[in-house]
Amino acid sequence: METGGPAPQGTQATAPVWRFLITPRWLGWHVLMVLSFWGMLWLGDWQLHRALAGNGLSWAYTFEWPLFAGFAVVFWAKTIRDEFRIRRGGGEVPEDAEAVSVAQSLPAGLGTAQVQQPADDADDAELTRYNAYLARLNEEVKGTHGKRHGFR
Amino acid sequence: MHAVVLRYRVMAYITGVVLIVLCFVGIPLQIAGHPTFANDVGVLHGILYIIYLVCAWQLSRKLALTNGQTVILLLAGTVPIMTFIVERWATRRFINPAIAAAPSAEPVSR
Repeated sequence: METGGPAPQGTQATAPVWRFLITPRWLGWHVLMVLSFWGMLWLGDWQLHRALAGNGLSWAYTFEWPLFAGFAVVFWAKTIRDEFRIRRGGGEVPEDAEAVSVAQSLPAGLGTAQVQQPADDADDAELTRYNAYLARLNEEVKGTHGKRHGFR
Repeated sequence: MHAVVLRYRVMAYITGVVLIVLCFVGIPLQIAGHPTFANDVGVLHGILYIIYLVCAWQLSRKLALTNGQTVILLLAGTVPIMTFIVERWATRRFINPAIAAAPSAEPVSR
């Protein structure tokens, strides 16, 4: 299905992958990131002036805020890169981890309107993992010795 | 996976305790006219929180959390008590299921 524009990546993409970046949700996050970045730099600058005016503790904050701003940029870049990998790699395009778990919690017969389902082998891998998860939950609840298994 | 979870948990508890000490011991002392304690503990919390950020970030990537969930995890170290509440939430909601799905190997998930 051609939706216009090149779709050189993936076998399942019906639109260029990067389009997710301009969905309202992600745009909101972009805005928040930009505001946070400049906000943190401003805070660092504020602390710098306080430090220069004599507040010793402010020196720590003067360096901490730009560091946080840097973290935010790195984290944001990695998040976006991960999202690209997820969308290109599996072909499955869950909006978030919650959508994935919701999709997995539907009984096998339902929820077949999964337009963006990956190829069969990936499908089986998901199913296998989910079945393993169910099996372990079952074991956990009705374990042979009746005790809850703790953190393994 | 276990290493990432353990690092996060350790940092969450340490940061949480230090923050509680800072807020419930340091601030009253500061108000009472002895600010040095709060200043020192504050610097300590600052350093610990940076380490917590990195550990929480790594965990969020491992569990493939949404942006919103990641933000909650990262900001948990800034509010007293929140660290523990968020750690319990993350454990029940994400960590345990992830470990149940692949207890003996790295989860093949995102």
